Amino acid sequence: MADLKHRILMVSDFFYPNFGGVENHIYYLSQCLLKLGHKVVVLTHAYGNRSGVRYMTGGLKVYYVPWRPFLMQNTFPTIYGTFPIIRTILLREKISLVHGHQAFSTLCHETLMHARTMGYKVVFTDHSLYGFADVGSIHMNKVLQFTLADVTRAICVSHTSKENTVLRSGLPPEKVFVIPNAVDTAMFKPAQQRLGRDEIVIVVISRLVYRKGADLLVEVIPEVCRLYPNVRFIVGGDGPKRVRLEEMREKHSLQDRVEMLGAVPHASVRSVLISGHIFLNSSLTEAFCIAILEAASCGLLTVSTRVGGVPEVLPDDMIVLAEPDPSDMVHAIRKAISILPNIDPQVMHDRMKRLYNWNDVAERTEIVYNRALKCSDQSLLERLSRYLSCGAWAGKLFCLVMIIDFLIWRLLELLQVLSFGSKLDGNT
Amino acid sequence: MDMNFTADSSLAPSRWRKVAYGRMQPGYDDNHTDETFLEDMVMNANVVKRNMLKVMQDSVSISQYLCIVFLVVLVWIYTLRSTLNENSLLLLDISLLGSGFIILVLTEEMLSLKRLWNYVLSVSFFTTGLFVLAPIYQTLTRSISSDSIWAVTISLLLLHLFLHDYSGSTIRPSGALKNPNLTSCISLNASIVASVFIASRLPSRVHVFATMLFSLQIFLFAPLVTYCIKKYSFRLHLLFSLGLMAVTLTFVYSLHCLLFVLLVGILIFVNVVCPYWLIRIQEYKFEINGPWDEAKLCFDITD
Repeated sequence: MADLKHRILMVSDFFYPNFGGVENHIYYLSQCLLKLGHKVVVLTHAYGNRSGVRYMTGGLKVYYVPWRPFLMQNTFPTIYGTFPIIRTILLREKISLVHGHQAFSTLCHETLMHARTMGYKVVFTDHSLYGFADVGSIHMNKVLQFTLADVTRAICVSHTSKENTVLRSGLPPEKVFVIPNAVDTAMFKPAQQRLGRDEIVIVVISRLVYRKGADLLVEVIPEVCRLYPNVRFIVGGDGPKRVRLEEMREKHSLQDRVEMLGAVPHASVRSVLISGHIFLNSSLTEAFCIAILEAASCGLLTVSTRVGGVPEVLPDDMIVLAEPDPSDMVHAIRKAISILPNIDPQVMHDRMKRLYNWNDVAERTEIVYNRALKCSDQSLLERLSRYLSCGAWAGKLFCLVMIIDFLIWRLLELLQVLSFGSKLDGNT
Repeated sequence: MDMNFTADSSLAPSRWRKVAYGRMQPGYDDNHTDETFLEDMVMNANVVKRNMLKVMQDSVSISQYLCIVFLVVLVWIYTLRSTLNENSLLLLDISLLGSGFIILVLTEEMLSLKRLWNYVLSVSFFTTGLFVLAPIYQTLTRSISSDSIWAVTISLLLLHLFLHDYSGSTIRPSGALKNPNLTSCISLNASIVASVFIASRLPSRVHVFATMLFSLQIFLFAPLVTYCIKKYSFRLHLLFSLGLMAVTLTFVYSLHCLLFVLLVGILIFVNVVCPYWLIRIQEYKFEINGPWDEAKLCFDITD
């Protein structure tokens, strides 16, 4: 089974030194692909004065291109301005395949467009769910339709995410692969000593924003504290809704029963998790929830809202699901407390080691790469016909954008030949 | 890829499950699309089927308000040309105030002396305030040329018409549920500024007071009065609107022929063409809901 070893370029606006779902996914996937023998290069924008070429563990080369992020960590969309540097990186590293991450990243869209113009095979991974009804979503979906009109293969992190991506972009479902995220079980081990059962600790770690259901927490926590005198809460994370949680704490005098930790750095997440019995996730929408995996790997029983891809993430005996309604969530917490004696953290951790593994994710991604590289090359005219089907006006606009991109590519090639020629003349 | 046949391939391949945990499901690729794909999608769950006659009747509210605005502009033109003198204007104001009051009293379900007294008090405060401020308005735009004034007034009136809240009233009748939203406040402000600009072109203080009183009482209270009529009886509302349209058309015809043609065109467009167009494009409505939607909170967030 001597498969070809690929040279992959991972592109996203979201990478280390930021911590988050997409960032960790890219990092771990790259590390496992390096272990499998492929070469991986990451392209992202500069963070502060972290700019230039850096090397990370395992020889992972990261290009921090010196552009400033302008809105929510995204680089400013110049459409063609990024072409010269991307072309240089693609040629210098002798890349064979480009893998873009996250629909919200402008750098990803631009790089995929330029890579397609230059004839590379392109894979896209979508990490989030989007709606269809509001103005922001409609525009984002149109941009996604443009990028995915000509992508070679796509990857989604859950089956619900696959349905959502197929509806938003109009891709045929056979082109979309479902490869979930995974968790580093070596980093998230349960506590050495099992916690006492006389006081039940419920842990919440999330950004305290509307989308993550902080308002549900404000309704649920006082009710649970009232019904169960032996339950304590630990809330980690920061955000605009923190004020509401503090007010709730004051109003119901729960200062000794609800502990607010503030923002928890990624390295300390495990120590917060192992101090609890139950992990509570109240998000209103989730494509795939890695926080739940981390909690299950530390041996906590999870209580979560039944939204998005969450029902697919864990087997039914490791998670209790509830509708995003305060009374239903209190009911689910009651059920979780009653099945808590049957839970053995070490057994749960060992099961998680078998269920989720980054090496497995890398192998499945490698299959996708092999399939992508086997696809036939397409000429410009064939590709343009795909863009035309995107819409009555949008299709023609997209075709125009791609034609100009093609012309700029030819111009860049010509300039390189000319400058090479002039260098030769200078040397003789 | 090497073959996945194992020794016990006599077992039937296990069913595909829609789960993300575990390794690749044996016998199935990662891009396997089951028959259950998209089975939880719900299409057009909240879409209301529209009836042409009802939409045309509802569009009468819009044309009624358009006619009111046209009448206001007519009165402004007559005043600026001195066809209408200040005494007749004052008479017009008082009669409009009186009739508006009577309509409010008649269509109100609960007649209470206290509420009546509240109305009288607020109207008298308003009128006194205008009378006191009239000299300021008179000299407001003396240094600005007339062309700029007409241009600004017309743009402000267009803005007012675009952003106006045609279904309710910005000035809330007591007991109304919804707060006025931002666009209806902006449109009300635009109309008030337009009336101030026009009033500032007039020769005497009494002219200014009479015109300001007229414009403001129409822009502030006419939506309230028409809303009360509509709430009371829909037939009365239709009759009132048709009468108003007839009156407006007569006056505009006597003023200028081109304006008359324009008004007729706008009324036909609003009442006939737009409802037909709306019903035609409703067939293309495609609303998608499914498990990927963000959950809606069933309780209100009170800060």
